[in-house]
Order: sequence, then C-alpha cells, then structure tokens
Amino acid sequence: MISETTKCPVTIVTGFLGSGKTTLLARVLAEPSMGNTAVLVNEFGKVGLDHHLLRQINERIILLGSGCACCTIRDDLVKTLLDLFAMDERRDIPQLERVIIETSGLADPAPILYTILADAVLQHHFCIDRIITTVDAINGHFHLDRHPESLKQVAVADNIIVTKTDVASWQEVDDLTARLHTLNPSAHIIKAAFGNVDTAMLFGASEIESVGKRLSDEQDANSLSTFRSKPLDEKRHIADVYSLSLTFHEPLDWRAFGLWLSMLLHARGEDVLRVKGLINVGERGPVVLNGVQHIIHPPQHLDRWPGEDHCSRIIFITRSIEPQAILNSLRVFQHVLGARPAMFEVNVHT
Amino acid sequence: MCVLCGEALTHIHWTDRRADERTTVSMFVGDDQQRSRMRDRLHLVRLANQILCHYGLQLHDWSGSKYILSDRKGNSALVQDLGSLWPTAEKLIHRPLDPLDPSLLETLITY
Repeated sequence: MISETTKCPVTIVTGFLGSGKTTLLARVLAEPSMGNTAVLVNEFGKVGLDHHLLRQINERIILLGSGCACCTIRDDLVKTLLDLFAMDERRDIPQLERVIIETSGLADPAPILYTILADAVLQHHFCIDRIITTVDAINGHFHLDRHPESLKQVAVADNIIVTKTDVASWQEVDDLTARLHTLNPSAHIIKAAFGNVDTAMLFGASEIESVGKRLSDEQDANSLSTFRSKPLDEKRHIADVYSLSLTFHEPLDWRAFGLWLSMLLHARGEDVLRVKGLINVGERGPVVLNGVQHIIHPPQHLDRWPGEDHCSRIIFITRSIEPQAILNSLRVFQHVLGARPAMFEVNVHT
Repeated sequence: MCVLCGEALTHIHWTDRRADERTTVSMFVGDDQQRSRMRDRLHLVRLANQILCHYGLQLHDWSGSKYILSDRKGNSALVQDLGSLWPTAEKLIHRPLDPLDPSLLETLITY
C-alpha cells in the first residue's frame, strides 16, 4: 500500500463568487516553488491564469444511490486526475508535486473529497492536503447571511483567506475575522490583499502537522470564549450553525469512538459539516481526525504530540444539531468510550 | 480481496485505519498481528452489541473476516465494517439508528 507521504497532495481552493479565488491562485502560481503544480479550474474567469499545467473541468456529478449530496462522484475530476497521473507516470510533464483544484463559487467542496478518497485508483495516488476558502472582506457577511453555500465553504475550510482587506475598513475585517473564527474555530485565518499570501506558510507544512499544532495550542482553545454567540438577526435565513469544542483528559478507546462517530455520521452526517480533532488513543502520539459530513479522511498517526498537553481535542461544526445533544450522548457513552468530555466551548452562529 | 467470499474490497473504512497505513486493523488475515487483530474485532463486537441490543440486534464475528448482524426474528446479514453496519442495521429494523436518540441513551445509562 502506498503511504500518505508518497501521494500527490491535492489542495482545494473554494470561495463564493467574486471572493478572489483566481487572484489568489494567480499570485501563488507566480512563485517559482509552485512550478510543478497542476491547476484544475472550473471556468476560465476574468482573471487570466497563465500556467503550463492548467486544465478545465466541468462539474459533472454522479449522484450515488444514497442520494446524499456529499457522497457524489465527480466523474469529470476522476478522468482529469487519472489523465494527469498517467502523464506524470510517462514523464510527459515535469514531476507532479501538487494539484490545486479551484471550484466554482457555488460549488460544494465535499464531493471533491469523496471522489478522491473513494475512487479505487485515485485514493492510492492522491491525498487531500487542505481546503482553502477565500472570503471577501466587503461582502463576506452578506454571503454568509444569505447563501448556505458560503457558510458551508467556510465550515469545511482548513485555511480561510480574508481577501480585499485593502478596500475594507479594519473594523469590517476584524468583525468578519471574529465571525469566521466563531464559525470554524479550527481554521487558520489569514488576511490578504491582492492575493498576497506567504506561499511557503500556506503550502509549506502539511495540514496534518498544522492542525495538530493548532488544536494543541492551549491559548487558541481559550480564545474561543472571546467569540461567543452573536445576537439573532431576524433577516438571516440560514439554519443555525454551531461549533462545539470538546476536551477529553483520559485516552479514548479508538474502536468505541469510531463506533459512536460512524453511527452519528450515518444518522446525521449531512448536518455534521465538519469534525476535526487530535485524539489521544493511549499511544505515543495522537491521531489526527479530519472529516467533512459523511467523509472522513484516513486518520493520521503522529509520532509525537505537538506540545506538552496530551488531552484529546475535538471540534464539531454542526447545522441544526444542538451541541448539548452531542455532549449528552458522549457523556452517556463515556463508559463505552473510556473517557468523559471534560470541558467544552459552544459557539452559535445564526 | 476477501478470501472467503471472493469480494473485491476497494475501500478500507476509516475506523480500520487506526494508526497509519502500515497497520490496518482488520484487513489482513494470517499475519503476525493475527492475535491482536482478533482481540480487536471481538472488542468491537462487544462494544457494538451494547448499542445494538437496544434495537434487538446482535453482531457476531465470522471467521475473523466479516461480521454477521442478526435480529430476533432469524434475519441476518453480512457486514464488512462499521461503514456498512449502520445501513444494514437500519434495513433490518426499518428505522434509523441515532446515537443522539434519547431512548437509546436511557438504555445505555442503565448499564
């Protein structure tokens, strides 16, 4: 079996219409270090991308029998990635180091994850590195209020880039950043104007290492309380989204946790927008858990803990599932799991 | 490939990929890890039955390769992993299984 480290990393760049995805890509691809990156775009937009490994994909979706929106195969993506892989194997192109997929503004990134993790061939040659979501500092609030697609794109992100910070006031940028942190406490938020981001920082360390560090950072965990519930605005039409941060001081029984989480995802997977965690399973290093709706990435084992704190930390971002219901369930399951959720933070995003 | 039924397995469920790609928990039969693998499978069966008994279902290990899920009416079905356990259970009892279900939690409290 091919290990995760030898697979070609795939980065998904998503964001609502006009939020600066292509500007970000144009800036990132100008870096010499990104030369051997293949870019798959959904459409050739106004901002021209000049790159030798540019491919267009059309969102052709095959809905599977279950009818679940996240568990769909992107037929176009399978074909394009297989073509790229074949070209790479034949040495028709310089050795492929990374693939970046730019989604359309209204796209749901979950089917892309499912396609790569479920396809019999792709799963052995490609791995999902991270999801980068761009949010427009001027229109970000409006999109989050009115468009569930935008909310989902933020919830599933590993990195959020707040764009157009040059034309927004610092107050607007700070308000939006606080809201994004409330919505997705596990994401790394970067502010950028004209797509100016530190490419080495964005693509340098693998997301697995980064998430381990972020989740184990005690200061970060404490900062959650700064962004507590926002008042309900009647003009908003989107169902409540909650983020729930849990800590377990004792090691968790991996089998029992897998049993509980797989059951939860089967029953409520469409409403579990994101689950991300660092889990102490009683071994030398933690296990990094990363999932979007029904789709869980292959859990990664770290050789050692990123910090001194060896508690399990799990963040759930849910839609229409009361955090208290998850907490009650985990408390009842504690004798099965071997550990009790000791502390939690809840953020309500309405 | 399953050696018993000849089924091609193209996907390993995430719960069977506990630590890293080198040690999948329940896929390889007959290697050095056989004893701990069987212990792990039986541990899973014991844990799953604590939940499934609420729904009148029972899980058994089958030759260290598959699981058999049965109800009290004599119906049974083969299960490969936790990914197929819950949909199969739902088909047998004709209602969803939910870990947030208050009646399930009430049953579990009594243990």
